[in-house]
Amino acid sequence: MKRLPPSPTRRIDPERPIAFTYSGRAFSGFAGDSVASALYAGGVRIFSRSIKYHRPRGLYSLDGECSNCLVEIDGQPNLRAETTPLKQGMAVKPQNVLGSAEWDLWGLMDKLDWAMPAGFYYRAFHKPYDMWPFFLNRIRQAAGIGKLNPNWQGGSYDHLLLNAEVCVLGGGPAGLSAALAASAYGLRVVLLEARPWLGGFYDWRTREYVPGQPLNRRAAELTSEADGLENLRIFRNAPVSGLWGDNLVTACQIGRAEDAFEERYIEVRAKSVVVATGCIERPLIFENNDRPGVMQVGCAHRLGMTYGILPGKSAVFSVGHDLGLEAAADIADLGMKIHAVADHRMDGHEPTLVDALSERGIPFLAGWAASRSEGDKGVTGVVLSSLDGIERKRVGCQILVASAGMTPVTGPLAMTQAKLKYDRHTNFFLPERLPPRAHAAGRLLGYRDPTAIETSGRLAGLAAALDCDAPAQQAHRESAEALARGRGPARGSRLPVAPGIGAGNKSFVCFDEDATVKHIAQACQHGFDLPELAKRFTATGTGPGQGAIPGHNLSLLLSLFRGEEVDEILPTTVRPPLVPTLMATYAGPGHQIFKCTPLHEVQAEAGAIFRRVGVWKRARYFSEDLSSREEIGAVHENVGLIDVSTLGKFRLFGPDALQALERIFVGDMRRIPQDRVKYVAMCNDDGCLIDDGVIVRLGEEDYYFTTTTGRAGQTLEWFRYHARYEKWNYHLVNLTDAYGAVNLAGPKARALLDKLTDADLSNEAFPYLGFREITLEGRVKARVMRLGFVGELSYEIHVPASVTRFVWDLLLEAGQEFDLKPFGLEAQNVLRLEKGHTLIGQDTEIRVTLLDLGLGFLWHREKREARTVGAPALRFTEHQKNRLKLVGFRMEDPEETPGEGAIVVDESIRGHITSSRFSAALGQSIGLALVDEPLAVVGTELSIFQEGLKGRHLKSKVVDRPFYDPEGKRLRM
Amino acid sequence: MSFTITCPVCGKRDLYEFRFGSEERGARPAEEGLTPEAYWDYVHRRTNASGPQREWWFHRDGCGTWFTVWRDTLTNREVIEPE
Repeated sequence: MKRLPPSPTRRIDPERPIAFTYSGRAFSGFAGDSVASALYAGGVRIFSRSIKYHRPRGLYSLDGECSNCLVEIDGQPNLRAETTPLKQGMAVKPQNVLGSAEWDLWGLMDKLDWAMPAGFYYRAFHKPYDMWPFFLNRIRQAAGIGKLNPNWQGGSYDHLLLNAEVCVLGGGPAGLSAALAASAYGLRVVLLEARPWLGGFYDWRTREYVPGQPLNRRAAELTSEADGLENLRIFRNAPVSGLWGDNLVTACQIGRAEDAFEERYIEVRAKSVVVATGCIERPLIFENNDRPGVMQVGCAHRLGMTYGILPGKSAVFSVGHDLGLEAAADIADLGMKIHAVADHRMDGHEPTLVDALSERGIPFLAGWAASRSEGDKGVTGVVLSSLDGIERKRVGCQILVASAGMTPVTGPLAMTQAKLKYDRHTNFFLPERLPPRAHAAGRLLGYRDPTAIETSGRLAGLAAALDCDAPAQQAHRESAEALARGRGPARGSRLPVAPGIGAGNKSFVCFDEDATVKHIAQACQHGFDLPELAKRFTATGTGPGQGAIPGHNLSLLLSLFRGEEVDEILPTTVRPPLVPTLMATYAGPGHQIFKCTPLHEVQAEAGAIFRRVGVWKRARYFSEDLSSREEIGAVHENVGLIDVSTLGKFRLFGPDALQALERIFVGDMRRIPQDRVKYVAMCNDDGCLIDDGVIVRLGEEDYYFTTTTGRAGQTLEWFRYHARYEKWNYHLVNLTDAYGAVNLAGPKARALLDKLTDADLSNEAFPYLGFREITLEGRVKARVMRLGFVGELSYEIHVPASVTRFVWDLLLEAGQEFDLKPFGLEAQNVLRLEKGHTLIGQDTEIRVTLLDLGLGFLWHREKREARTVGAPALRFTEHQKNRLKLVGFRMEDPEETPGEGAIVVDESIRGHITSSRFSAALGQSIGLALVDEPLAVVGTELSIFQEGLKGRHLKSKVVDRPFYDPEGKRLRM
Repeated sequence: MSFTITCPVCGKRDLYEFRFGSEERGARPAEEGLTPEAYWDYVHRRTNASGPQREWWFHRDGCGTWFTVWRDTLTNREVIEPE
């Protein structure tokens, strides 16, 4: 379709065409188009089929307030065509159709409406009960909207978290005035606007604001003033999804072609907020009010003025506010034939607009409204009726522009717990009382006069500035006086339902859920006659539009059916998100954030395959052989080197450091011999082992200890939490990232290290569990501990992170003659299992205590002062029967290694395998298991169930730990 | 959903920066004469007040301090300590 000639309000750029496809057919639009406007210009009138009756649905509001225009774009379902900017190459498809939107095979459902009363699903399909799954599947196939593609690969999504003094919701004249007023005090202001441009309902209107200046030019003036301010940050295409406690504002910004994101989650923590979200139109309810060709005033008006599209050849208007009259005159000027304008208000019309209609020869019917639309898949005519229902006339037309009145967008206000009350003058639900530091302004308060709208915006902006301690008292007082002097809130219409609709079988209250006036009446008959009840019984307002279309009308209808004043009726609760948003947007950019050790690069060069362990990446293997046999062999026979920089490393010092240690660690911390390493373990309040490591004494009241990789981040918090009532004087410093560490392990480790230091490394001078500070290469000071985690003579060497790589290279070079090999986590896992060492979190769990793990010898019971965390639990469970115990086992057949997590069974489940590996050094398959206490006796046979063995159980036997070198001779070499 | 917590050292900050440390329930009970029930009560049982409650927070992404605030669990707003 050819677009209308250029005009000052037009937002598309015909110089920049954009090609896309719809249902596989080539379409084109222009820069500035939304998907919906481009489709409409391309002749698409039926955008979708409705959820229950599969009725054809078309363009209705242009702001995505109902599911009519949900489409699938590039494989992503349920996108709002009206708010999605058109991009080059988009593949758009209709949803919820069998065939096409035009020829939908489910369409016959519409004829069956008599069989589907309100609450139909709940009432009809539960008998007989067994049949429900069958019906469920049928219903799901026919209903529901959009089809998820499980293989869909997301685009890019972004998060933006901001702090601001003032956040303004809505960039219309009130919001802009508020933002400008607050910005003048140098405050940081954020403005969120749902549409792609600012100016609100000024944007497409050419009526005069002041003599000689049209509204659209006033919008441009406000916009350019706002755009020029450095302390005012403006987000367009960013509808507000929520206004939360403490003024946290969230919005989901829809990306344009030039944006790097498809959708962006914005979160603004503001000191004060101004809600200036304006109004949307309240639909007029009449028979077949959902037929394609029926559209709201703003939709028809903006199609013409903003997008340069004539909605059709001829139209009838049925409206209830002056904007409708203005639109009729404008659209007539664009070249559309307007057969009649019905306005259900008897009086109160703006006289100049009535004159404008008569100048154009458009018949004007005050006190009339549309009572039904005629046609099949599109409007061909309309039956107009006088409000008393006595007079009727039929008029042929292509487009029926209908709207009952305005309704304020109060979602954000409702979320702040503002009390809303029905106001009989404006016929709006108005905020009665606002929470502190939240302000409302503009059209949603009922103002209609442009000067009053801007003044109320300015007043709210100044009030927000006052919240932020800006010296705005004087200006605030003056604005309040100006607002009081100006034109107050305007009278609004309250007619919900047109005359002569009968039972309202096809008079839709909610398009999303296909709820009609008849359904609401049925809900009332069943006793569900309050908004919250009727909403649930009929599903009205529970669809993607979040009640925007039916919310206000539902209250009006119920007051009608109940014969009560609407003041007595509360609107339904508004829940976030206020606009439909994508799950992907919440998920965000999905950055993989991890830490690398100082040895990451050098290990990568050596062919390491990394895996994520907690916040770290760690080397898992150094070869293609996933059993790491060579790496393990090197440690057993020669010498190996592993990066253990991820261990938590802490320095603890101060007069009460010992008290803190006694509280946290289960052992006797007063006995840490000089130059010796002490193994330490910590429990939680339940006596469960949660961490272990080693500690050394650096000096008087000065300690250095390690934790496992996973716990490093929580250790500081844990210490301070469990000492929070104490007035202990100690300092805990996290050195995890400041130090690197390697473990040099194997029978030839001493000979290797000897080459690099003058220190005496002999077994007598530096025995097993010894600790020394030695100098490597005469330059690097290192803390060295002789530990036995991997079961061979080994030295754990701690050096500052900056020289860790240097030390690694040094060791590798010196190790050449000893066939030194770097080894990874998998090799370490087998080596520690051969020694029967537990891995916390793998061999332990929430049910097992220190005692259950066989580590009770670590527990020092007689602490006089700082009692250990978890000690009471250990005492209480010490003699409990039938606890899970950790045991070592050996498989009868060395070739059979059970999977970790396989269960131990006899007549019932008796435990499970926590670790298991084949040990080449032993020629056996070995492992650890948590089993019922009676089974935890050496020599007991364990029968292991594993999937895929067709009922055959694996056989194993409980054996003593350690499996390898039981006397520990190799550690002490 | 998110709210703010006022750290005594760093001031009012977003919730994301903190870790919750449970409601205030007094110092550790004395171990002499402690019954399993009383200990279980101390470790696991919570009042779950609906209204103002005193509770512990840790400024994890900040100064690393444990402190208590009074929070109204119905509004998630911090409240002044009752007299």
